[in-house]
Amino acid sequence: MSEKCKAKLINFVKKSVFADFIRGLYITFSYNFEGAMTLKYPDSEKWIPYRRFRGLHTLNKNSEGKELCVACELCSRACPTDCITVIPEENDAGRGIADRVAKVWEVDLTRCMFCGYCEDACPTTAVRLGREYELACTTLERGTRSRDELLLPQPVPEALTGGVVAKARFIRSADGIKVVAELGKVRQRKL
Amino acid sequence: MVNIKINGKELKVEAGKLILDAARDEGHDIPTFCYQADLMGIGSCRMCLIEIEGQKKLQPSCITPVMDGMSILTDSPTVVSARSSMLEFLLTDHALDCPVCDKGGECELQDMVYKHGPHTGRHAEPKHRHHGKDYVLSPVIIKNSNRCVQCTKCVRVCSEIVGVGVLGSIGRGIHQEETSFFKTYLDCDHCGNCIEVCPVGCFMRLPYRYTSRSWDLKSADSICTYCATGCRVVIEERDGLLVRSRAQLGVGLNSETLCARGRFGYDIVNSDDRLTTPMVKKYGKLEPATWEEAFGAIRKGFRSSSPARTGGLISPRMTNEEIYLFSKLFKGPLQSNNVDSSMRWSPEAVEGFAAATSMTAGGVSIFDCMDSQSVFVVGTQLSDENPVVDYIVRRISNANGVQVAIASSRGMKLDSCASQTLRHAPATEGDLLGAAALLLADKDAVRFAGNADFNSIKATGIDTLAARSGVSRSEIEALVSSFGSSETVGIIAGTEFLRFPEGSASLALVVEALRGAGKKVTVIPVLDRCNQRGAWEMGAHPGLGTAYSREGVKGLGFAGMMNTASEGKLDSIYIVGENPVVEYGDGNFARDAIGKVGFVVVQDTFMTETAALADVILPGVTFAEKDGTYTNQEGRVQSINRLLPPPGDAKRDLEIISTIYNIFSGTDDVPVKKSAGIFAEIREKVSTYAKVDLSFNNEKNTFNDLDNKESLVGGSSASLSMPQVTGSAASSLASDGHAGFTLVTGNHLYHSGRLSLRSEILGGFIKGAIVEISEEDADRLGITSGEKVTVAGSRYKAELVLKTRKGSASGVAFIAENYNDVPVHKFFRRGESVASVKIARS
Amino acid sequence: MLTEKTLEKIKQIQKNYHSKKSAVMGALMAVQRDSGNNLTREDMDAVAKILDVNPVEIHAVAGFYTMYNWKKPVGRHHIQVCWNLSCSLLGAEHLISHMEKTLGITLGETTPDSMFTLTTAECLGSCGTAPMMQIGDDYYEDLTVEKVDKILADLRARS
Repeated sequence: MSEKCKAKLINFVKKSVFADFIRGLYITFSYNFEGAMTLKYPDSEKWIPYRRFRGLHTLNKNSEGKELCVACELCSRACPTDCITVIPEENDAGRGIADRVAKVWEVDLTRCMFCGYCEDACPTTAVRLGREYELACTTLERGTRSRDELLLPQPVPEALTGGVVAKARFIRSADGIKVVAELGKVRQRKL
Repeated sequence: MVNIKINGKELKVEAGKLILDAARDEGHDIPTFCYQADLMGIGSCRMCLIEIEGQKKLQPSCITPVMDGMSILTDSPTVVSARSSMLEFLLTDHALDCPVCDKGGECELQDMVYKHGPHTGRHAEPKHRHHGKDYVLSPVIIKNSNRCVQCTKCVRVCSEIVGVGVLGSIGRGIHQEETSFFKTYLDCDHCGNCIEVCPVGCFMRLPYRYTSRSWDLKSADSICTYCATGCRVVIEERDGLLVRSRAQLGVGLNSETLCARGRFGYDIVNSDDRLTTPMVKKYGKLEPATWEEAFGAIRKGFRSSSPARTGGLISPRMTNEEIYLFSKLFKGPLQSNNVDSSMRWSPEAVEGFAAATSMTAGGVSIFDCMDSQSVFVVGTQLSDENPVVDYIVRRISNANGVQVAIASSRGMKLDSCASQTLRHAPATEGDLLGAAALLLADKDAVRFAGNADFNSIKATGIDTLAARSGVSRSEIEALVSSFGSSETVGIIAGTEFLRFPEGSASLALVVEALRGAGKKVTVIPVLDRCNQRGAWEMGAHPGLGTAYSREGVKGLGFAGMMNTASEGKLDSIYIVGENPVVEYGDGNFARDAIGKVGFVVVQDTFMTETAALADVILPGVTFAEKDGTYTNQEGRVQSINRLLPPPGDAKRDLEIISTIYNIFSGTDDVPVKKSAGIFAEIREKVSTYAKVDLSFNNEKNTFNDLDNKESLVGGSSASLSMPQVTGSAASSLASDGHAGFTLVTGNHLYHSGRLSLRSEILGGFIKGAIVEISEEDADRLGITSGEKVTVAGSRYKAELVLKTRKGSASGVAFIAENYNDVPVHKFFRRGESVASVKIARS
Repeated sequence: MLTEKTLEKIKQIQKNYHSKKSAVMGALMAVQRDSGNNLTREDMDAVAKILDVNPVEIHAVAGFYTMYNWKKPVGRHHIQVCWNLSCSLLGAEHLISHMEKTLGITLGETTPDSMFTLTTAECLGSCGTAPMMQIGDDYYEDLTVEKVDKILADLRARS
């Protein structure tokens, strides 16, 4: 039997037992037995971004718990959307690393475009863009975050590299909805 | 002239000129820290090093004069690298805390390093630190020596220009620190010039500390509105609050210098007590109202009063435009000549002073006055009342060897650079000058033969006059001979001639006698309200129209209005920016008199004691909120610019006055919102302002000429007469009976009228009222400085703190007119400014 | 306060100069000698009054020259060891550490009996006889450890 004949025969057998069809469906059906690609967000899961993520601003403290911000206003100067307001004051009580501290440090998130220039401009690494990204709000006032709030420890600790999916709870509050991650229960996201 | 070459270009420059100046004039940029033209050159910062071909070492251009044939290189590779190295050295011990430093953003060191410097340093050694925390040197100065570049400009400005000398360079080398004696709290003039000259953030303003960054500030060119020196300032605001007032190097006659008032008195603008809404009296009580209601009440109030029974008083702190329109309102639609702008002085005294100081002849620059070979300061407490004029006199007299003679009854800072000081009895300027005039006119008696003033002093005789003034004849002869030996004489005459008008005639005689002897005499009147001269020239005077022209019927001065009012014969009065109830000679009398006026309109920025008596209160604005021009004591017309909006419902004063003008003229002739239009009218209608040029106000470069002569007012042909003085101060003292001390008054160094009392910063400099006597008198009484004493006169008695003053005449006591708790006028008879008092420890 | 004797000395010094304040250095030295080798803030204030200048000018003069002791009180004998180049090369540092050991103090300190204060000085202009030191007004030159011991013992015995 010539080679040509052989190929024709095999082709005929493949067609008669629906081989390509089965192979195609194999991929489809195999997905039935894998975990889901989608996150169950906001119901029970939440994406924890990497450290390089640019979310809500945070104001940092040093290891002694002193505010790193010296209210130099360079962030507000660097800001292309003019969304940061800093008003300095003098404080000798040791609140900050210098006697100059911020009386007001406010960011207007409705204007902010999360470019991270403030972070670059900061001479003391006081301001960083954090990993909080649920910024939707029901009132305009909540669009502005001030110093006291930004000084609070971040929900995602610096030690956690990120890029994982955490179990989470969905919470409704007066401020709006919130998805609180349980950082103990994380899983790598399949790609 | 010598021939030099700068960067290959051949030039001819004056011999003895500094290389730095020659190069800068050619447009070459040579950076400096320690060089400032007004100060002694020390050549310490080494930033200005340049290369002279043929010399191995680089030379500091700021202390090296040009020499014939010099070939100078300002940008050779050696020079460029030397500059960079100098900056690297400066940075080895610089704190580099720019983010925290108040100077950050406007720092000369930052700019210099950015432009010339190395952008990386090689020194890894720990930096030398003079101290940890910043320390407070005075109520307005906070110091951080770690940032110092040791240019010692602060030390030099303090001793050479301000004349206080409380700063010194302590230590040497790296340990050198410019500070006070053992870093103690400073008891100085609090002028803050050390802050202004500091190129880095070493001396800083305490009130401005950590309020803002330089790039947050919005600024406007303005004029200091306290005394009449006319210092150019830049006022700066952040978020609607005025946070700083500063002077600029090379701009305005003051250049970089200011006094405490100019630099720290700006915060009146931010006061919470500002009037923000019009008020109208309803059922005997003042209540907030709308502008329509207020203007309606004014329309009704003034319509029902007859022209002769209407009066107006405007503060000499208002702008030319406002005062012009105010007098136009009275002399035009209201048909009344009862307009005044100087309630403390009689209209006759003003006329005499204006005549004696040749104000009709037009503006005279202070720099022309200081060009004279000898300068005579008389009738003014220059160092306290016009501190910046004091700086100019000190600087120029030290630099050019001008002979300065000072006649005053109290000691002053300027005494230290005077070649002659005459201490006369208070209120005897006239006698002293009369004696001088007689000595001067000795050879020229024919000239004065018909002069009544001359004949009357001649009848008194030199010795009697000298004895009255308490100055020996030989001292007066020495003064006259110092005039005799100079070709040009400058006279700086002040407000004592307005307090004691009998002196003006003698002053005029002295000036005339000197001119008769062929000398060039320049007279500078020094005044204590920023636009006093402008107010007179705008016709806010009952007897004189614009530019001192004589007008028909003579109206009533403020004293006349009060007398009429106390008889119940004044129907209405419009008071702008003045507070006669506390500032007029006899406050209680003014209160009663104003109480009897049918209809009182007060326009002011604060709720004053006078405003409380008003039927309508109109909230005006301060200098930071309006545009306009001021004419300073020299006759220099300078403009102010608005920076802030009026607070609350307040309106700009010009808008208020023009609205009222339009109400009574029945037209819409006057534009309501623009001051420029009114100034154009002033130029057209007031002959002496026709050629005034304001354009320099918009130029702001480092080499701006200090002396903008094009802005000086011109001369007029008006002739003024000397006042006929009835009772002299001496006679009123005699009637008091001599009680030990003669009490006089004037402005305190930190205050100007009562307005500056609203400033919290200025208020921090002095706590409570002070009486000043000479050191010798205090020793005689056995009282030391700082003790509480009782000052008792025949009309009033008060308890205050005693301070001694070096060099005052014996038997002279001084209480400034600025205290609310001790109103000095209560010691005096109404309309006078001298009284006999007893001082004893309380 | 200044004693009558000191005041008299200052008056004598002032006679050498045309202007009052030119006597500042001599006056300060006289005051320092008469008040136990030290200058206090009150002394400077008093000198300022006598010379009719601002106290800070006196402070600046005293601060500039190393011979005035105002920063810290010094003992009766102020030992200033030159540690500039020539002296260092010839063993000044060795001498300093020797003195630190024998006196029981470190550089900049004063012995508990306020007899000696040990400091260093920049070049005192006697390089030809290095290593050297200055105690009070006197130079001690060509020093060795033995010489230093003897000098210190002599000083101690003398007072």
